[in-house]
Amino acid sequence: MSAIEKADVAVIGGGPAGLAAAAEAKAAGAGRVLLLERDDRVGGILNQQVHDGFGTKVFKEALTGPEYAAIYEDRVNDRDVETWLKTHVIDVTKDRLITVHSDKGLRTIEAGSVVLSMGCRERTRGAIGTAGTRPAGVFTAGAVQNYMNVRNLAVGRKVVILGSGDIGLIMARRMKLEGAEVVCVAEILPQPSGIAGNMVRCLEDFDIPLYLSTTVVEIHGKSRVTGVTLAEVGPKMGEIKGTRRYVECDTLLLSVGLIPENELTNKIGVVTSPVTTGAIVDDSFRTSVPGIFSCGNVLQVHDVVDYATLESEKAGTAAAIWATTGKLPDANIKVNAGEGLRYVLPATISGTDAVDFTMRSWKEDHDRAIIFKSGGEEIRRLKMPHMEPAGMIRVRVGKGRFKHIVNNELTVEVGY
Amino acid sequence: MNTTLICIVCPVSCPCDVEWTEEGGVTKVENNQCKLAFEYVEGELFDPRRMLTTSVPVDGGNWPLVSVKSHVPIPKDQMLEAMKVIADVRATAPIKVGDVIMPDFIGSGADLVATRNVTVA
Repeated sequence: MSAIEKADVAVIGGGPAGLAAAAEAKAAGAGRVLLLERDDRVGGILNQQVHDGFGTKVFKEALTGPEYAAIYEDRVNDRDVETWLKTHVIDVTKDRLITVHSDKGLRTIEAGSVVLSMGCRERTRGAIGTAGTRPAGVFTAGAVQNYMNVRNLAVGRKVVILGSGDIGLIMARRMKLEGAEVVCVAEILPQPSGIAGNMVRCLEDFDIPLYLSTTVVEIHGKSRVTGVTLAEVGPKMGEIKGTRRYVECDTLLLSVGLIPENELTNKIGVVTSPVTTGAIVDDSFRTSVPGIFSCGNVLQVHDVVDYATLESEKAGTAAAIWATTGKLPDANIKVNAGEGLRYVLPATISGTDAVDFTMRSWKEDHDRAIIFKSGGEEIRRLKMPHMEPAGMIRVRVGKGRFKHIVNNELTVEVGY
Repeated sequence: MNTTLICIVCPVSCPCDVEWTEEGGVTKVENNQCKLAFEYVEGELFDPRRMLTTSVPVDGGNWPLVSVKSHVPIPKDQMLEAMKVIADVRATAPIKVGDVIMPDFIGSGADLVATRNVTVA
């Protein structure tokens, strides 16, 4: 093994989160910043997301995925971030020793700060335990997006999509545009999982039917998928007898959720949330282990890349400050997810600066408010005309409000 | 008239409450988080258009495909027709973001432009 490489900040994962964190770490004064990416190019999932709608929050215009990625790739290069491609991180210790494997062999990096920005992978057929044979033609939606939009490979002609997550909806439109017949999208939940805009432009625009409370109970075919059996499910997800129907198709696309890739996070021993499965962080995106930061989809699944970027820029800045000064404000105020909310991040705050809180609700609702309370008193509220679990809620609370906090305790809840 | 239209400009998907008349156009938009919604609802009611995004094969590039888009939205009902035109288009590396791959590709005034840099392999 070669000599140990030293870096002020090492960023693991070169998707949108890692690109933003690395660029800002450099801007905040870090010396050597290493961006470690296992693919042969940076940009992550954006490279295959050729549709538009990215950048409306940051750039006030709708860009395509590759255009959005190119802006941050240029930024990272302009700021002299050192990017290591085809580099797989296989271990990170509490002391921030990183072991990487690449075509240059095994190498060790000693980093002042480490930013975990590994993103997500897709849930597969195995993860949802669908019965039937094991023919070719069953894909995750993101894999097909990569085949079609990056590698120029067609995957099938008659498609059923299981799961109404955004990638599934976008692939329904994509396959239709490329000449495939999209038979239907089936969703096990009583409401769509993807954002409302994609229901309009991906399904309604092309008359693709969506069946709610419906799932695939069996996959048919020997060497290739020949069809699937759909069935309706009741409120407890049990199959409703007598609702089975056979649908002919040669391809089944799965868009059944994302799994944050927290294997390294767990290996380090970082404390994680059972809800998000990602790290529990403070308002500097510090995890429970000193010098280890986390941001982007590995921390919490975002539906808007702009917010992953903004969050990661903060994490990168904080990582640089910690690496160069060893000082970040203590985060002693505990933040609780109250009534109506699945989780809230950050989990602790310092109260020294404005905070962008991110959260998800348990259910769809109208004419509610997000209320911040401390010691029973309201310190901030934001009206929510509409909220749904598929849409992340983001609320900025100004620094001035935090002076009303008592007992270092802040609760965020859904109210009227 | 009153209509609820979901703004599709960005993933936030604001469910906009729209007041409009056939003669006077849109008179009021509510429930939107940003001003991009105004232009969208006006268009959606009187001349619905969509951005077309797809990809075309590249000769001699470091990627086999270059992602492309219509530089302005095209009429919604011409999307599938436009894909038939694009099926015969090829590009040659090098390509820069914003390069015109095919000018006015369906006669609607929209150019097909690259959304990815492709260098020579």
